[in-house]
Amino acid sequence: MQADLTWLDDPQTFRINQLPAHSDHRGYATVAEAQAGQSSLVQSLDGNWDFQFAADPQHRPAGFYQPDYDRSDFDQLTVPGHIELAGYGQIQYINTAYPWEGKHYRRPAYSMGADQPAHGMFSEDPENTVGAYVKRFTLQPALQNQRVSIEFDGVEQAMYLWLNGHFVGYAEDSFSRSEFDLTRYLQPGENLLAVEVFKHSTAAFLEDQDMFRFSGIFRSVRLAAKPALHLEDLTIRPTVDAGLTTGTLNLQLQLSAAQQLAGTAVITLQDATGQPLWTTEQAVVDTLTATTTIAHVHLWQHHDPYLYHLRICLHNAAGDLVEVIPYPVGFRRLEIKDKVIMLNGQRLILNGVNRHEWDAHRGRAVTTADMHHDLEVFADNHINAVRTCHYPDQPVWYDLCDQHGVYMMAENNLETHGTWQKMGAVEPSYNVPGDLPQWQLAVLDRAKSNYEMFKNHPAILFWSLGNESYAGEDLVAMDAYYHHVDPTRLTHYEGVFQNRAYADRISDVESRMYNPPREIEKYLQESPTKPFLDCEYMHDMGNSLGGMASYTALIDRYPMYQGGFIWDFIDQALWVKDEVTGQPVLRYGGDFDDRHSDYEFSGDGLLFADRTPKPALQEVRYEYGQHD
Amino acid sequence: MANTTKLNVTYGDVTLGVSGDHFRYIFAYDRGGLESLVRYGKEWLYRTPMPAFWRATTDNDRGNGFSQQSAMWLGADAFTHCTQVAVAVDGQSIPLPIAPENNRYSDHETATTVAVTFTYTTPTVPATTVTVSYLMDATGKLSVAVHYRGAAGLPELPALGLRFVLPTAASGFDYQGLSGETYPDRMAGGQPGTYHVTGLPVTPYLVPQECGMHMANDWVTVTRDHTLNNADPDHQPFGITLQKHDAPFAFSCLPYTPLELENATHQEELPAPRRTVLTVYGAVRGVGGIDSWGADVEPQYHIAGDQDHDFQFEIAGLA
Repeated sequence: MQADLTWLDDPQTFRINQLPAHSDHRGYATVAEAQAGQSSLVQSLDGNWDFQFAADPQHRPAGFYQPDYDRSDFDQLTVPGHIELAGYGQIQYINTAYPWEGKHYRRPAYSMGADQPAHGMFSEDPENTVGAYVKRFTLQPALQNQRVSIEFDGVEQAMYLWLNGHFVGYAEDSFSRSEFDLTRYLQPGENLLAVEVFKHSTAAFLEDQDMFRFSGIFRSVRLAAKPALHLEDLTIRPTVDAGLTTGTLNLQLQLSAAQQLAGTAVITLQDATGQPLWTTEQAVVDTLTATTTIAHVHLWQHHDPYLYHLRICLHNAAGDLVEVIPYPVGFRRLEIKDKVIMLNGQRLILNGVNRHEWDAHRGRAVTTADMHHDLEVFADNHINAVRTCHYPDQPVWYDLCDQHGVYMMAENNLETHGTWQKMGAVEPSYNVPGDLPQWQLAVLDRAKSNYEMFKNHPAILFWSLGNESYAGEDLVAMDAYYHHVDPTRLTHYEGVFQNRAYADRISDVESRMYNPPREIEKYLQESPTKPFLDCEYMHDMGNSLGGMASYTALIDRYPMYQGGFIWDFIDQALWVKDEVTGQPVLRYGGDFDDRHSDYEFSGDGLLFADRTPKPALQEVRYEYGQHD
Repeated sequence: MANTTKLNVTYGDVTLGVSGDHFRYIFAYDRGGLESLVRYGKEWLYRTPMPAFWRATTDNDRGNGFSQQSAMWLGADAFTHCTQVAVAVDGQSIPLPIAPENNRYSDHETATTVAVTFTYTTPTVPATTVTVSYLMDATGKLSVAVHYRGAAGLPELPALGLRFVLPTAASGFDYQGLSGETYPDRMAGGQPGTYHVTGLPVTPYLVPQECGMHMANDWVTVTRDHTLNNADPDHQPFGITLQKHDAPFAFSCLPYTPLELENATHQEELPAPRRTVLTVYGAVRGVGGIDSWGADVEPQYHIAGDQDHDFQFEIAGLA
């Protein structure tokens, strides 16, 4: 197969040759590696890559992926990072309207009729910037003579991949991991990896988040070897009985072999102190299941995020250990009882924040140091929940939320408000995904990527279909997907409020944004069917966050009111050198000559963009402290 | 030798001078206000204190149109002027003591108390008045009373206070009140206590805006370490204390006026800090927070334009 530029224009083409999404477990060669969290089966490709920027597809270095292509004029670019923050391509911040507002008239493919496919919209777009990335690598010893895949944790917004001149695959969905099997094209010695990144594709219509608009390989890239026996996917299903005493652990393992599926899987469960509780040894098969119960299970929750330790050891037919997979397990019981969300038998109260991934130097390429800082702020201010607005975050964030007992609303990478919300009015005369069959597979794929990757994290209480994407049959299909694959969590979607015809088929909770307390009270007094939460409230733009006490008061008066997520955690602004004084200053939309822009509207955080707290944070600490 | 139980009063031709041990105040009829407040030889005023009506637009104010609705108060903040001055000595009103009325006085006049009241008339439609009364005793204590006269048809006020612009930037201030930056609808998290603030920090909101409010204070002491007086090379810290009269007061202490903040789109556009803008507030509007594109501040945190407002505080004496 050859790469085809017109995939950029087609909403039905969003993944070519990608491996199926699976759980985010990591394989290690030895138990010691697993304990240290350092896998010799993994080879990072982060760092300097060769790079060339093109202003549009027509001027891109076509064929740059060929081994004999003359790349002597390529620059260097650091991965992970945004192309724009390296000085290529204009920085732009815009909220609702699409980034081409005022420059291109566009209607999403098929949105004006099944006979209107929008040929050339992005493949011939004179402003669709292109990044040509090249990385040379030689496999480290542990990866040699193994099956090897490559993992891209985040590439915005459409990418084509080649290895040693061979086309490997294509991916969209900027915020989900894209994984490709490289085995057949690997060669001894040096390999030549090439990635062509396009700023826009049909994915742009699905990724209209209120944020700076970037492109590039902005999260880590790595090679991962699959030993002779490999755990492809792991489903951990811990449940707790109604009496909150007995835990049941159901496991499903999907295994693959380089040659022949033979050997054993040794599965052990330890408590948090390392005491073994259960072990089982089974012959490997394609799909292996195992079950155990724990008589007096220690529950996982915000103030006591107790994690058991699961370890899976795969041994080949000769008995040699070839792969070790550790994974933490948290038991908790989530249910809706008498129309109230209960966690471990207690009414759930969300002291939440929406958190964009943001670093004023690095944009969305945040560091683990940023994450640890954010978790300290959570702990200091009684913040117990986070909504990953409006896309899946870096995988390590989910691990940290498990460890720190932070309840997660895990949101899909979906926001289409520019197609139905214009000048603040609901105007869905054209809308994606809506009911369009041509867009349904793309959004379902996003739901699947989110579920499969993160399904084993106890921190996740809600699967969120996306943000501000109106409502229609495609959202219904996403909701049905989550209910089908996961009976242990709740679905969340606010947009059904805008289209009540779907109220019975989308979202387990009534979710609103920026609803005044008196309107929430009205809803709660009218015998509603679903518990209520604010997916966004207390818009902390500039000097704000007045009147929060009125929301806190609802918690005491209405059991079905379950709190919410403040908008939002950190200002989105960028450090730049002041053109007059040379001093570092924080800049926002419109400061890069970017038009159309929404200017300072990205400055809504409890923290300033440099992660120092805004004065309002002490109020959050007080109000959230009332129900912590 | 200064009289320690009585005020010395100087019935000048354009000003009223009042002095005592280590202090001298000058009320200027022509400038329409308290022109000079000298204590221990240090001048505390750059220009006469004036009623404050405006706050630099917050993002929420912009979003819900409050600044448009109340824009008259921006003009009032800049262009209110003094229309009347009244003087009372030892509790008795006297005719304004300018020539020839003051020809009957000497250079050795004294009094137990002196009160000077300035009436300011706003350029709003309709116009209204604010009176600011300064009552002095022999310790140099100034009891300040501010009365806003409500008038039907006037929009809600962004703020109501009395603004002092001090000649140089303060090195810091101490206060007894609540921690952090607080507003009427965002003060539950403020911890009561005594706090020191170094310098004159401006809360670095992306777009400069109203900031730095401190609610419910018993007192604030502003400390400076230099003056504009060419004959005063001293850099030892010196302070002035404002204290509550009968109820706690709100204040902000910033290097900028609301207009300076209003004019900047980024922090780096603010001018170099030169002065101290100390504003005592009798009424503070809430900041709101439901959203930033229309939601109003909760009603109980508005400041009505058609109702009277009164507040008092004291500038501590030297005894």
